[in-house]
Amino acid sequence: MATVFYDKAAVEVTHNGVSEQLLATDCSLSFSNAQAPLYAIGSKGTLGQFPAGARQGDLSFSFLTTITGTYFGVNGNIINSLASGVKAAASNTSEVSGVEIKFAGVSGSGYLNSYGVGVQSNSVSSSSCGFTFFGSGTQLPMSGRLDDFAGQTIQTGKLATGVVHGRYTNLDNFATSITAGDSAANVFGADYSISFNHNPVYKVGQEFPMTCLYTNAQETLGITEDVFQSGLAFDPAASNLTLTLSGLGGSPAGTSMGIGLSGVKQVSTAMSAGMDDIVRTQKNLTAVY
Amino acid sequence: MLGRIRREAEKITINNSGIQGVQSINAQYESVARPLDNLGITEIQYAPQGGQTASLQLNTLLINTLEAGYSGSYSLDVMQNFTGDIPFSGIIDYGTEKIYFSQGYLETYSVSCAIGEIPQTSTTSTIYGDFGTGVLFSEYDQVSSLIPSLNIPSYSSMEVNLDEFSSNRMTSFSVDIATPRVPIYTLNADKPAKVIAGTPIEVNVNFSLDVDDYKIKNMRLVPDETIFKNATITLKKNNSDTTLLSYSFDNMLLTSESFQAGVGSNATANFNLRSFILR
Repeated sequence: MATVFYDKAAVEVTHNGVSEQLLATDCSLSFSNAQAPLYAIGSKGTLGQFPAGARQGDLSFSFLTTITGTYFGVNGNIINSLASGVKAAASNTSEVSGVEIKFAGVSGSGYLNSYGVGVQSNSVSSSSCGFTFFGSGTQLPMSGRLDDFAGQTIQTGKLATGVVHGRYTNLDNFATSITAGDSAANVFGADYSISFNHNPVYKVGQEFPMTCLYTNAQETLGITEDVFQSGLAFDPAASNLTLTLSGLGGSPAGTSMGIGLSGVKQVSTAMSAGMDDIVRTQKNLTAVY
Repeated sequence: MLGRIRREAEKITINNSGIQGVQSINAQYESVARPLDNLGITEIQYAPQGGQTASLQLNTLLINTLEAGYSGSYSLDVMQNFTGDIPFSGIIDYGTEKIYFSQGYLETYSVSCAIGEIPQTSTTSTIYGDFGTGVLFSEYDQVSSLIPSLNIPSYSSMEVNLDEFSSNRMTSFSVDIATPRVPIYTLNADKPAKVIAGTPIEVNVNFSLDVDDYKIKNMRLVPDETIFKNATITLKKNNSDTTLLSYSFDNMLLTSESFQAGVGSNATANFNLRSFILR
């Protein structure tokens, strides 16, 4: 019986020979085989169910946002690096290779299609990401049986200095400022997300794609604060911004995790109130690639 | 050599006022550091989850009050003045050691008295600023520049204005005031940017009676029989007509009653009045 407890169900991502086990807090994997019924005039009932597309899988997981090093020139974790790289690839529609993902003994080659990071005051930051598995050539999208998969256990207690924390993350560069009165906003949190569209290229005679192209990407950043700026411009100037996230205790200079947003425009602003809380505002910034 | 510290070597100072008549102090914090958990966990690592606060509980005999007129429109009881939006800081001394704290906000304030007792107050507060010792606290030093005067009230010299007590003997009362707080935390800070004095303030007044003709009311909320009362409790200096403190609440809803009888005791009744104050 393959009984795998969560402590032996690590999620590991490998790209170009570089691997990292993420501090995943949940992970789900699904594999689908599209079958469609066929009907014909003169036949009662169905002729049967037949393949309506290639088999493919989806995997998504949430993880604690970690700053574990520099991956392919980008500080943070391997997912953040992947998103940065894919974003650049999406902008020039180049061919992108998948990454190898292992999860509790099951593995496959997947393509990043979403990535998000949230940071709130006095809390550990959490990220999420989603991959689609198309398979390649004759290779199944994913395979394997449930099995223990974890690194070497180290029974030690220490501070998680490599985990992004709202206590040490300064996003004052995103604070709304209006000229009337004392108006510099307090920033309470930020939610960043990016989604990628990809185009698998299928060849006649093969079930699985020969390659995959990213076509475009859109990213959104929501900032929660306490100043409402209603005067949105019809065609505001685009700006380049960097979301800088720091680990517990404050990341040394040059080691913070950075997410660059190019050509950002503010697309909405809102304010809301709930019981036992102050009125909070939120502005949404978007960038497209 | 092992030593011990007794009450004569302990004191608490709040906003430069020496708090007198202290019966007990309880100051504590609980770290918000929590172990991180993840799939395939290989190592225990800790990170703070949520804002770090401490708590302070203080029980005092109500025998020391500020001089009349000292605080203008404020209460002569030092601690009652913190039911509003004023924070406090202070020091607990024990022997040669000190515990510093800052940005304290009162959460509950209670005063109670029974036959044969001196009125007591109990408070619980949340410390949103700093708490403890270390180099962070060098600027927190303060001395007891204000010592409230000794003014002893007693059950024999207090006045309770409520209809029921003309023929039923009140044996004890308590007033409990809950003042909610809403801390607002921002990114890149471990202390709140602001602590909002929440609303409404809930006030509960409880009385115990040795009954004569006290009538238990209908428990159902029948509009015509709903009981609202005004309650005023005045504490006076013992054997004098000098008013020290007065608690007055209007339109309090009768929310509970209980009746007890036993072979060895008088029949007693307890009832609770509740109101909410918006601020």
